[in-house]
Amino acid sequence: MKSDCKRLILAFLFSCAAIIAANLMAGKALAGSLRLTLAPAENFAGIANAKAHSLALFAEIGKVLTSPRCMNCHAANDRPRQGDSGRLHQPPVFRGPDGLGLPAMRCPICHLATNFDPARMPGNKPWLMAPSEMTWEGKTLSQICVQMRDPKLNGGKSLADLVHHIGDDELVGWGWNPGIGRTPAPGTQEQAKALVQTWVDTGAECP
Amino acid sequence: MSAISLKINGKDHGPIEVRDDLSMNDFLREVLGMTGTKFGCGAAQCLSCAVIVDDPDGTSATMPTCTAPAMNFDGKSIRTVEGHASNGQLTALQEAFIRHFAFQCGYCTAGFLNEAQVLLERLEHQPVAREALEQTILVALDGHLCRCTGYVRYHEAVRDVILAQPARYLL
Repeated sequence: MKSDCKRLILAFLFSCAAIIAANLMAGKALAGSLRLTLAPAENFAGIANAKAHSLALFAEIGKVLTSPRCMNCHAANDRPRQGDSGRLHQPPVFRGPDGLGLPAMRCPICHLATNFDPARMPGNKPWLMAPSEMTWEGKTLSQICVQMRDPKLNGGKSLADLVHHIGDDELVGWGWNPGIGRTPAPGTQEQAKALVQTWVDTGAECP
Repeated sequence: MSAISLKINGKDHGPIEVRDDLSMNDFLREVLGMTGTKFGCGAAQCLSCAVIVDDPDGTSATMPTCTAPAMNFDGKSIRTVEGHASNGQLTALQEAFIRHFAFQCGYCTAGFLNEAQVLLERLEHQPVAREALEQTILVALDGHLCRCTGYVRYHEAVRDVILAQPARYLL
């Protein structure tokens, strides 16, 4: 009877260990699928054709734009997403008229000025969703490109505004310092700024 | 480690040394022994841990304490569930919660009470029309989770308090 009990306990412990290992491997696989590096803008200087040069730069910028750190807040349907998997935000919060949530569930109520890693709570001041005209979820990189370079589609932003937004904005910069449990956006914000600036300088071509 | 000072229910606390990774919920419950503020989901999803933060501009809002560092409350003035009744006299809200049997296990009650209190204070300054009252209460209590009695009884209790003094809270 005692040995049966021991076997049951051992089987239970092995099952737990197997589940934990599987989860860890799944997490590692997910993290591994996200690109962490960004090629510097200078690496593309050898491309002689101006259009090809610009397109290559945008493809590299696309690694940042499609990172979950950007996509989760450039989400569709007025609902932010979260995590590296881009699951719907819990609790169920919505954009609200100013991008800061609805009256009873405002973003800054939980998202403070800095990350609070013990509670896995990301933070930055301000913390808000991207404007609805800059929704990227469900779009191809080509569609994102057309949308973001056209002031009629991007909420009136110039190309210089885009360089400033990606290169200097503090909330965008959080993407490279997202706290524990979240994969940072590829490369650095400085590299991303240089890539966007060079893309603009080379004609801001879209794939 | 950092030293924080704050006002809780009108009483000054601190300076008290706290670890950088200490949550406000642990600070209240473990350091100060104020266990009226509950620890629920630990992810700011149930709001049972919400306290009232009073801004210097005279406005107030609730804030979850489970996901916020204690350091963030340095210099702030907050109210917890322990601060509602005075001299053993319950507030109209607390009495209405009891009258309506709004809570059963009581785990979410502190959060609901704080949220409803903030709503009452807001309505005193920004009254709404009677027709907008149901929606106003719904929106205010949205986000607070209750697993026992549901939400209708809390809603009815808050509505009762407001309708008992229409000149104070309604247009």
